[in-house]
Amino acid sequence: MSPQELHPQIAAPAAPAVPIHTHIEASETNKENEVSSHSHTAKKERRYGKIAVAGLLTTSVGLLAAAGVYAGLSATATGAESVTSGTLNLTLSPDVGAGFSNFTGKMAPGDTDNVYVNLNNTGTLASAAGLNLTVAGAPANALTNGSIAGEGLTVAATQCSVAWTLATGTCAGSTTTLLAPTQVSLASAGLALSNVPALAAATGQLAHVQVSLGLAGTETSVNGVAPASTIQGLSTTLTYTFTEQQRTGVSTNQ
Amino acid sequence: MKCITRSTASRTAATAAVLLLGVATLAPIAGAAGLAGRASRTESVSTASWGATASVTSMNFNTNTAQTSNVTNTGTIPLTAQSYVVTVTRPFLFVPTFQVFECAVPWVGGTCSGGAGTQVGGTLDSGTTTTITTTTALAVGATEYLQIEPAGVFLFTTTVTISPEVTAPSQVRAAIKTNQ
Repeated sequence: MSPQELHPQIAAPAAPAVPIHTHIEASETNKENEVSSHSHTAKKERRYGKIAVAGLLTTSVGLLAAAGVYAGLSATATGAESVTSGTLNLTLSPDVGAGFSNFTGKMAPGDTDNVYVNLNNTGTLASAAGLNLTVAGAPANALTNGSIAGEGLTVAATQCSVAWTLATGTCAGSTTTLLAPTQVSLASAGLALSNVPALAAATGQLAHVQVSLGLAGTETSVNGVAPASTIQGLSTTLTYTFTEQQRTGVSTNQ
Repeated sequence: MKCITRSTASRTAATAAVLLLGVATLAPIAGAAGLAGRASRTESVSTASWGATASVTSMNFNTNTAQTSNVTNTGTIPLTAQSYVVTVTRPFLFVPTFQVFECAVPWVGGTCSGGAGTQVGGTLDSGTTTTITTTTALAVGATEYLQIEPAGVFLFTTTVTISPEVTAPSQVRAAIKTNQ
């Protein structure tokens, strides 16, 4: 099928001025299309085209104008606010004596090793009331893992209102129990210390704390041989970790 | 049988992904409850061992001749007392008795520096098991000398076993309180 067959009004420039009806047979598709053409149709279409172009131009100008109006109505306001975050810093220092150090002797049941420390909140934020103490032993053994009921290392903490007397391990003032003797095996997950107030920013201090390490247990050796499960002849290194939490969040309206 | 269409599977996978994302996002938020300050220190500790070891733990008696056993503190801390579990067998005929004596020096010729030594416990009958205790202090590595003295008629062998026992904290040095 040629273009002339499909569009005879375009392909025949010498088309008659009177309307003609042309039947085109689409032999290849067996479909019949009937097209009616009038002489003034082309002019109409050209006019419509001009109108369409004019309409498009008008619409474009209108849209551009509207966009200009929109850009003109948007407004921006800015404000500045400076924010500084606080710090929470806990330090541990000796109170009297050497503080935490290695216990050079061989501990036996009933022995106690006392160290005296101060805990200071040196950050810019106050802490919440209370402290958490974790004691972990490496290597873990019967001294620290609770594998023998009632035996193993214990830890306790007591605060004195004044500095402790190092020579005797006594408090000349009043004492406050922060932690009653507790198996170290229970302290690996963290223990809450009692009677610890919130520590003020920068200057807050939990002073004159005696941390007591003890060894609990009753064991009998027979002809020089210790029981199969024993706390005898063991060594471990304990890591004491004190943790403070920040004060509760403050909501400020200004 | 219910068929899972492709769109259902996609929807399920998308839902799971959203849930996982939500959990992964919430987990760190839950953990980050605020600031915490920490301070740590370490301390190394070692424990002692305690015990006393007898050089001879089983003695057979066929005559009235005394026998000795040396007991040494083989632990790492001083002892303030020791116990002995003494078992005496019962012979077929006759029932001899026994007494335990201790001496700070080795027994020579059945005597403790020319003396009789110090008796520990009472008289032990045949066919009994008795725990006797002495409050003799023994430094680490120190030895005390025991002599078991029989009395009676021996027609058959009688066996005496002696087993030293040390219990802490009651039989070791006094508790130490260290301030450092």
